[in-house]
Formats: sequence, structure tokens, C-alpha cells
Amino acid sequence: MTARAPGSIAEIQSLVQNSDRVHVVGKGSKTALHNQTDGAAIVDLSGMSGILEYQPSEYTVTVGAGGLVRDLEAALKQHGQYLPCDPLLPGAASIGGTVACNLAGPRRFRYGGVRDFILGAQLVDGMGRAFRVGGKVVKNAAGFDLSKFLVGSLGRYAIMTELTFKVFPDAPCFRSLRFNYERLDDALSAIFFINQSAYELDALDLIPAADGWSLLARLAGFQESLPQRVERFAAGMERDTAPSDIATLAESPNLWDPLAELSGEFLVKAALAPKQIPAFDRMIAGARRRYGVGGNIAWLATDDVEALAAALRNCGLRGLCLRGAVHSAVIGAPADDALAQRVKQVLDPEHKLV
Amino acid sequence: MATAIEKCVHCGFCLPACPTYSLLGEEMDSPRGRIYLMKNVLEETLSAADAQPYIDRCLGCMACVPACPSGVEYGDLLVSYRMLQERERQRPPLDALARRLVIETLPYPKRFRLAAQTGRIGKALRGALPEAFASMLNLLPEKLPSPLPAPPVLPARGELRAKVALLPGCVQQALAPEINYAAAQALAANGVEVHSPPKAGCCGSILLHVGAEQQAIELARRNFGQFPDDIDAIITTAAGCGSGIHDYELLFKDQPDADRAAAFARKVTDFSAFLSSLGMRERTGFAHERRVVYQDACHLLHAQGQQSEARALLMQIPNLRLLPIADAGMCCGSAGAYNIDQPAIAAELGRRKVASILAAEPDLVVSGNIGCITQLRQQLKSTGNPLPVRHIAEVLWEACAGSE
Amino acid sequence: MNRAFIAALESIYPPQRLLTRDVELLPYESDALTAFQTKPAAAVLPDSDDEIIATVRLCHEHAVPFVARGSGTSLSGGSLPIADGLIIGLNRLNRIKKLDPQQRIAVVEPGVINLSITEAAQPYGLYYAPDPSSQSICTIGGNIAFNSGGAHCLKYGMTSNHVLGMKVVLADGTVTQFGSESIEGVGIGPDLVGLFVGSEGLFGIALEITVRLMPQPELYRTVLAAYDDLGRAGDAVSMVVASGLLPGAMEIMDRLAIKAAEASVKAGYPDAEALLIVELEGETLQVNAEFEQLRGIIEASGAFEIRVANSEEERARIWKGRKGAFSAVGRLSPDYIVQDGVVPRSRLGEALVEIGALKEKYGLDVANVFHAGDGNLHPLILYDGRAAGALEKAEALAGEILALCVNLGGSITGEHGIGMEKRDYMPAMFSEEELDIMQALRRAIDPLEIANRGKMFPGGEAPALKQHGMHPLEKAGVISRE
Ligand SMILES: Cc1cc2nc3c(=O)[nH]c(=O)nc-3n(C[C@H](O)[C@H](O)[C@H](O)COP(=O)(O)OP(=O)(O)OC[C@H]3O[C@@H](n4cnc5c(N)ncnc54)[C@H](O)[C@@H]3O)c2cc1C
Ligand code: SF4
Ligand code: SF4
Repeated sequence: MTARAPGSIAEIQSLVQNSDRVHVVGKGSKTALHNQTDGAAIVDLSGMSGILEYQPSEYTVTVGAGGLVRDLEAALKQHGQYLPCDPLLPGAASIGGTVACNLAGPRRFRYGGVRDFILGAQLVDGMGRAFRVGGKVVKNAAGFDLSKFLVGSLGRYAIMTELTFKVFPDAPCFRSLRFNYERLDDALSAIFFINQSAYELDALDLIPAADGWSLLARLAGFQESLPQRVERFAAGMERDTAPSDIATLAESPNLWDPLAELSGEFLVKAALAPKQIPAFDRMIAGARRRYGVGGNIAWLATDDVEALAAALRNCGLRGLCLRGAVHSAVIGAPADDALAQRVKQVLDPEHKLV
Repeated sequence: MATAIEKCVHCGFCLPACPTYSLLGEEMDSPRGRIYLMKNVLEETLSAADAQPYIDRCLGCMACVPACPSGVEYGDLLVSYRMLQERERQRPPLDALARRLVIETLPYPKRFRLAAQTGRIGKALRGALPEAFASMLNLLPEKLPSPLPAPPVLPARGELRAKVALLPGCVQQALAPEINYAAAQALAANGVEVHSPPKAGCCGSILLHVGAEQQAIELARRNFGQFPDDIDAIITTAAGCGSGIHDYELLFKDQPDADRAAAFARKVTDFSAFLSSLGMRERTGFAHERRVVYQDACHLLHAQGQQSEARALLMQIPNLRLLPIADAGMCCGSAGAYNIDQPAIAAELGRRKVASILAAEPDLVVSGNIGCITQLRQQLKSTGNPLPVRHIAEVLWEACAGSE
Repeated sequence: MNRAFIAALESIYPPQRLLTRDVELLPYESDALTAFQTKPAAAVLPDSDDEIIATVRLCHEHAVPFVARGSGTSLSGGSLPIADGLIIGLNRLNRIKKLDPQQRIAVVEPGVINLSITEAAQPYGLYYAPDPSSQSICTIGGNIAFNSGGAHCLKYGMTSNHVLGMKVVLADGTVTQFGSESIEGVGIGPDLVGLFVGSEGLFGIALEITVRLMPQPELYRTVLAAYDDLGRAGDAVSMVVASGLLPGAMEIMDRLAIKAAEASVKAGYPDAEALLIVELEGETLQVNAEFEQLRGIIEASGAFEIRVANSEEERARIWKGRKGAFSAVGRLSPDYIVQDGVVPRSRLGEALVEIGALKEKYGLDVANVFHAGDGNLHPLILYDGRAAGALEKAEALAGEILALCVNLGGSITGEHGIGMEKRDYMPAMFSEEELDIMQALRRAIDPLEIANRGKMFPGGEAPALKQHGMHPLEKAGVISRE
């Protein structure tokens, strides 16, 4: 079935009302999400794009959900601001897709993820109702916070047409460093050391290296103080975590793209706690991997998705498959979805949204 | 009273400070809850008898007062309320008996000694006695010390810097006469002439704490005129007396000698506060390091706002290391006659206090109040710990004099 | 409340933890919004989550409404009991079950006091970031219900941003668990934590909560600036934001609030029309660099006095006045209403002028305290309940302030929630359809509407506002208030 690209909320409403099953694509960057949608009406949201409201002094921005993340980032950058949840795949992903899949990048380490920066949304639910959730100001405690619920909802509860985010001023300068460790445990200890220290990192990723593990760290801040901070941080790390090697790295676009070097038929994101890494890592031999955000998100590429799913299950973890032909995009341990089901019952009782 | 009640905005900021609330986790046993109950009693939407158990469980430790941003004078409220209720109150017979015992014996050292002697006989029978009596017996040492009267006037050593009189205290005189003795010596060593008027007696505070207003007034009155006029201060070594005397204003409200009571109260100063403002002249210190925990008496810390005075004194002593403890401001459960009225709560608070003291690994515990000292000794004893607990006057005397 | 229900409770709770007598229930009559009072039929004080679960299931079975209660500091009547209903007091569930400084998380029971998490984490250089002014007493359970925040929520967010996982019992007795120990929280699948936080106790009771801890900032730099005009303080905030600085906190107090705080904690504040507190926090080197910039901005902002805290003690003093400001107003006025509304930051000035005009119109005093960084206003409306009609007047003024917030594009509550107090303002913010959807969601979770019945949604019986009036003893001439 060919995709339809509605240009207004009313069109989306009527599309939902007149279809049995509806599947939303943003930019289609996460191919695995679009595998099992036979027979569904495909809604392409690229018509719902653009910056709708942006007042830099409010730290808030409202955008069409179908727009590219890259365009939003460019608009923010003009005012020295950014989305601190650091959406992945900015060049390919839509803003709605980023929220639906909860895809935050390494800089999420500093201030928080998608859930921490979404403020409100305009929706069309599975009954074809259009309504707003959340608010447009940075603080709002009125009503149930369905806007956060949308994060990771995979488009199964409602179609987002408009999204409001909190944004922050960005730092002018960045410096990245790499610390090598022979053993995973040492690298993890270094993360724990950082966790209890006052060093404020912009990003922190853990990557397997040829002869051990690398910790990739980035600091951000003012020109005046950054070199000294970097020096102090490196010295602290050297003293307290005994790395086998320390290197300063030139900033490059690929350096902080967790997916850049992950080749494989299937690409999977999983959330985990740093202390789960050793056991999990032992089970996923063969998978290419990077543990981003201080070891709280696993980025995994593999050709054997069944084995990966089994490893996740064994560790009580769940993953989201972003690329590759899978039956269901969510793999691993089953979720306790008692509460999610109730929401489904209300927003999409006929299970139209797939 | 109404001002205090109306000032309470029900914000709950006082709750974490309250020992009974932290123990029982119920609103009726919190300052906010008690104020609410008292309000309902005054408005006659609740009977006083129903509210009584919760008011009785209040330690009167006043930890809720500094915690209140709205300035509720809980102390005034409690004292006035207790006085009001005591007039109308009917107690169950056994309770009434225990209370009678408190009122009739605690303020009088001689009677108390006597009761203590019989008490010792009673110890054998403890199992058969109701809890309230048993706990009272627990407080008694195996053997009462012999009286240790201070000379009527102890001259200052060296240059004369001040003249004071010592308030004798009641229970303390029987249980620990050495405290006032040490206080006199420590003061004298610092250039203070110390009078101990032979006819002075109990200040009545202990009765005020249990709401026995009339008896309290009478005892207080007996003391007026017993003290020389030309002294700089009347020194107490028991925190409860100090804060009780500061409540004279309430006690003597509408009484003919209110002025006299106020003048008397103005002169009364706690031992540590006095010495710390005078400044210590002598401080030889200890030969070896002493690890010390200072236990705040509620009636000094909360009721009189004295957080730093005693600590400042202790910190000036060479070789004395003052250790911080967790929940320092929390009552130890002694609170006047409380460990007699509410033995279970008192014991649990004591247990918690001892646990946080022991965690600091001290080799000496110092306090400024006989009630706290007795309570801590009792609790330590029950855990089999030989850690000594002493009054700050004793420690200072030893430190000033280099233990002559 | 029927006999069978009480009997069933008796099989769960010993008498000391099952409260049914008037004297035991009266103190639970109101939360910190004392204008509302309702005596519950009973209260229980569970000691374990099993007891809570059993209790909720019983309530569901017997269709008895219940209200979970933390420390009862809600300012919107959120923990106001329901007549014929049950209070489930959670204060005894105050254990920190796990503290993992390496992963920067703690797992706590719902009755744990906000500040005690910070106290437990402090030895490891960590703290729990959301800091409502009531942090020394309010519980995590209550914080979750209202998504509470405080002065330092500009940078790191409110409660919702610091909760990673939860075990809850839904109002129909279903026990469910979501989220994780990863800072991603739920991570894969809809963010149920985000949905539960802020649900005002209408979905069920949080039994166990995993929170994230933050490293203590290495350095705070706190500035207090005094202005002779409230608008100028507001402009200074805009200047700070425009400069690209991201302070940890920006707070404004007006003259009356300053006076209350002075009376309460004697912070030694300057005599001014408005005080602005700006605090930078973070790594020493970075903060010092930022501070130079901030100082320049504040100096150019027309402040007539600028004070910089040079020690932890001075910083604490600056904050103490601000943090105690609410309850301190109790010293100025026999009665007051705390309001909570949000306006877009750029319209703060406008809002303040309007509030000034309303003040005149109603002839009532309003003290303003606000989280200027995120446009969250806390007007404190002073009135004297003894005067006839004063409460109604104050209520009307409060209502106009809320309408103003909505008209300026803001919200009727930033952190205190809707509770009982603001039910009737919900339609000003949400369409009928939006409210219907929320109602439907609530019923999907709680078909009998037993959890916190009567809160959040408009309509339904409200308890009569309590008119303070003269104290009965006062009327009788026994006592007097000066
Ligand atoms: C002086 C003062 C200052 C304040 N300052 C602030 C401030 O700066 N910022 C701010 O946000 N708030 C503030 N508040 C409001 C209040 O402290 C918060 O709303 C707080 O979160 C309430 O916590 P509590 O434990 O008292 O909850 P309660 O008042 O007991 O309950 C509040 C709500 O939470 C529900 N609830 C309680 N426990 C649970 C649970 N385990 N699961 C589900 N629901 C539960 C209750 O049913 C009720 O609806 C202030 C209050 C006062 C009195
Ligand atoms: S802190 Fe003060 S105002 Fe608040 S509840 Fe306690 S007594 Fe009342
Ligand atoms: S005096 Fe002590 S025990 Fe009594 S209410 Fe106040 S804090 Fe609680």
C-alpha cells in the first residue's frame, strides 16, 4: 500500500477514522519498525513539519512531528541552543520517530533523555480524536502527563503531530578524551569513579577496543576554563582509575555517533544498568557493541538476532530492533504492561495503530 | 494559647524534629497533630480525656519550636494547656498514685532518698509492679551516694571575676550531689565566688512539666529571697530547671508576685552558658586524647537555644576531641519525668540515642543535664557497655584543675 | 464504611495501626491546605507493601474510597481525606532499601522523606536533586503524586526526571512494576514512570521507587541582588537567560515575602522591593568562569545592592529565608492561600503588573515568591479569616490569578497539583474532550474511582470551605488574639 502524507490534523483524523489499521512512518529511518504492517494504511508524517513556535528566551520549542531532527537542531543552533537529549540519526530521523522510539544519543549523559525534555504534544489517537497533552511551558503539573508516556510508545497509542520540547543553551567548546583499560571491570570502575566525582561530562561511552576497553569522554564549556578542566579530569582519571593509555581526540562527526561503526544485519538498542554489563557482555559474543551514556544504553549490531534476543532475555533486558527483518521490533524479556494496556484501551481500543 | 494555635499553618515542618512522631509515625503523636488536638479540645469538639494520651506522650523536648517557620510557641501552648487540663483531670487510680509519688517525692531530696531506700526493696518485686513504677525503680542506682554539701560560700581562686549562687536542684541533689560540687569547683577555679544558699530548694520545674501548677508555684515561691541580691547570676546545672524557670512568666501570670518571679527568672543561667560567656581562664586539659560525644539536653538545645555554648567550652580543652553524632538534636527519652510516665517510648528513644553515640566510638559522653545522664547510663548499662557518662561541670573541673 | 470492611482491616492491622476513633482521625482531617477538612472513616498505618496491597484490594472489593497519605503537606488538598473513606498513611514505610553510589541510584519506600535520601547519599558525594521547599518533611510518594519540584529544578528537572523505576499497586489491586536501574528508566516501551508521576494518587499507590542521584556540585556561587522595582528583578532574569547561562536556580521574592522571611529566620535580607537569588552550580573552574559573566549581568541590571555568598553558611542563610517563606507568612497574617501558577518566562513582568492590579481591586495583600527561571509563580494571598467574606474574597482573587496564568499561555499549576483546590479550573486549561480522555484513563485503571475520589476532575461534591472566623473561646471572651 502506498503511503499517504496528510498535511493537516483533520486529514489524519479522517484517515484513522476510515481505516482498520494505521501505521505511521516518520522518515522511515528505523526499518525494523515497519516490517509487520501488512494491510495497514501507511501515514507519512513528513507533511507535518516545521518549527511552529520558538522563543529562545523561553527555553521551549514546538515543532511538527514529521520534521527532520537535523532541521530542528539547525534552528536551535542559530540561537546557541540545543536539544540536550541528543537525538540519534539527526540526518535521517524525524522528530516524532525520535520520541516514539526513545532514541537519545551520547550527550544524553549530561542532562537527560527524551523523557526529560518533552513537554507536550498534539495527538490523534486510535479513535481519531485530536487533542493536546502536557503543556507548552517548562513547568506544568496539571492533568496526567501523557506526553512522557509517548516516549518509547512506538506509535501504538496515538499519532503525534506536534511536539513541544524544553531546550537549553549549548556549550561553545568541546574536548574529547579516550582512556584505555585492559579489563572491562577496570573500565567500569572508572565509570563508577566518574559517577561519584564532581566532573561534569558532556558524554561518556564505553567501547570494546582491540586490546581491552576504551572509555570515551567529552567535556563541554567555556573556552576560558575548558583546557584546565580537561587537564584536571585527565589527571584525576590517571591517578584514580589507572588507565593503560590516555589520548586526546580530535572532534569529528563520527567520534560521537554510536552507530557509526556498528555494522550488522540487525541494529538493536537496549537500556541496562552499568553493573549488568559484565554478565550481558559475556553472553553476546559476536555482536558489535557500544555501551553509551555511562554504560546505561547498549547499542548492538549482530547478524544473529535470535541469540541476541536470548541474551537479553537471560539478563531480564529488553531491546528495540531498529534495523533488520524481525517479527517484532521489541525483543528480549517481556514487559509488565498492565498499565500500558489500560492506556491502550482508552486511546486505541480497536488496536488500529500498529 | 489561641495565638499559638492560629499561627500553626499545618505545614508539617516540625514533624521530622519530633521524637514521638519519628518513633510512632502517626499524626496524633506529632506537634502538628497535638496542636490540632488541643485546638479541638479548646473548641470543645473533642473531649480532653480522649486527647490526653497523646498530649501525655509529648516529651516537652521543644524540638518542634526551632523547626517551625511560622513561629508557633509550642512550649507556651503545651504548658498552658497542661495547666488548664490538670485542673479538671481525673486520672485512673494507679496512674494517679504514680503521679502523686512524682509530685510528692521528686522535688524533695530527703523524701526522694527515703523513697529510694524503699525503692531498693521494691526492686526485688519489680516484676509484680506496673510498668510505670518499674521504670522509676530502674532509674535508681544500686546505692545512693552520700550527700556532698558544698560550702555556703566557696571563694574565687585568683582574681575575682564574678559572684554567683548555685540552684541546688532536687532529684539531682539526691542522685548526683557531685555535679553541683564539681560546678562550684570549676567556677571557683575560673575566678567565680560561688554561694550555695542552704535554704534554697527545688524550683518547681519538674512539676510544671507534668502540669502540677499549684505545687510548682509554691515551690518556686519558697526560693525567692533565699538568694543574695548582689550576685551576677543564679546558676543551674540541670537543663530542665533552667527552661522551667524561664516558664515562670506563664506560671505566675496573674499572680501577685509575678514581678518577683520574672526578676528571679532573669538571673537564672545555665552553667555552660555562664562559663562560656565569662570565658574559661583555666584549661589544663587532659594528658591523653579523650574522644567525647556531647549529648544536647533538649531543654538547653531547643528550649533555650543553646547549641554552641557547651561545645565551645569543650573544644577549648586541650586533648579533647569532640565527635559529631547522627540525629544529635533528637531527645534521648529522658525529658523530666517522662521516663517515669512513658517508659516504653523513653526506652526506645534511649536505645536509638545510645546506638548513634556508640557509632561515633567515644570514650566519654558528656551532657549538661542529670535526666539525660541518668537515661544514658541506664541505656548503656542495659547494653552492657561501660562507657562513662558525665556532667559537663565534672569534666570541666577535671580539665581546669588538671585533676588536683 | 461497613462493618465487614473494618473487620477485614482488623485481620490485617493490629489496633495501634488501625485508627477509627475521632481523636485518632481528627489530626488527619486536612493537609497543608487547611481551608478543607474532612474526617475519614478510618486510617491505617501499614508497615509493609504487602499490607498496602491487601488494603487496596480490600478497598476495591468493598468499593471503599481511599487516599494515600505521605506527610500531608499538599497545598492543593491532594491528601484531603474522603468522608466514609480510608486514609492509608505511609509514614512508617520510610526505609531506604538500597543505595548504590556507583550507579548513582537509590531504591526507597514511599514514606521516605525527600531530604533523607540526600542525607544518606551525602557521604558518597551524591544528592537527590528535586528540592521542594518542604523537602525536610514531604515524602517521595507525595512528590511522585505531584511531580514536585523546587528552586533547583531548572537544570535537572522535577521529580519525574529523577524517578527511574517503580513498583505500584493500581487502584484495582493489580501490582505492576516498570522502569529499571538504568538512567534510561523504562527505556523500551512507553514511559510508564512518566505517566504515573504526576497522577496525583488517582492511579494507585507507589510501593517502591528507584530514584537517580546526582553528584553534588563541586561549587555553588550564589548571588543575592536587591531591586527597588519588581519588574527590574524580572528583567534581570531575562538577561541571564539571554546570555546563555544555565543557573541551577533563579528565585524572586517581593517586599512582603521578604518581610515574612525576615520575621521568621532573620536572614538579614536588604530592605527592597524585590530580591533576586541566582545560583550557579557545577565544576569549580566552569562555575567561576560563568560567575564572572553573571556578575557583569547583575551589575548591569540596576540592582541597588548585590551580595555574594562567600561561605556555605552565607549561602545557607540566603536560602533559608527563601525556603521558609511560605510558612513564614503565617507570622504576618492569620490566614493565607498559597497559589501556584505558571506563565511563560517572557511574560513574567506582565503577570506581576496584573497581580498588582488585582491586589488593589480586592484590597488584599499578596506576597510573591517565585521560581523565576521557569516562570512558576507562588502568590501568597493574605487574608483574615475572622472578617466576614474574607476567605471568599481571597479565593476569588486566587481564581483570577489562575485565569491570568492560562491567558498568558501558562498553566494553573507548576508543582502543587490540582488536588481538591483546582478541580474547577481544569476546564480553563483542557478541552472537554481532553478531560474526557483523562477521565476514561482513570476509569480504565480504577473502574470504581476509589483512589483519591473527588480530586483533579471538576464536579462532584466538595467539602465546604472552612471559614476560620472567631475562635469559640474568643467569642466567649476567654482568650484574645493580638
Ligand atoms: C511550606 C510548604 C512548602 C512547599 N513547597 C513546595 C515546593 O517548593 N515545591 C513543590 O512541588 N511542592 C511544595 N509543597 C507542597 C508539598 O510539599 C508537595 O506537594 C509534596 O510532594 C507533598 O508530599 P507529602 O508527602 O506531604 O504528600 P501528601 O500531602 O501526604 O500527599 C500528596 C498527594 O500524594 C498522594 N500520595 C502520597 N503518597 C503516595 C504514594 N506512595 N503513591 C501515590 N500517591 C501518593 C496523596 O494521595 C496525595 O494526593 C510545599 C508545601 C508546604 C506546606
Ligand atoms: S511547623 Fe509550625 S506551623 Fe508548621 S505544622 Fe508545625 S507547628 Fe504548625
Ligand atoms: S515537644 Fe518534643 S515530643 Fe512534644 S511535640 Fe514537640 S517535638 Fe514532639
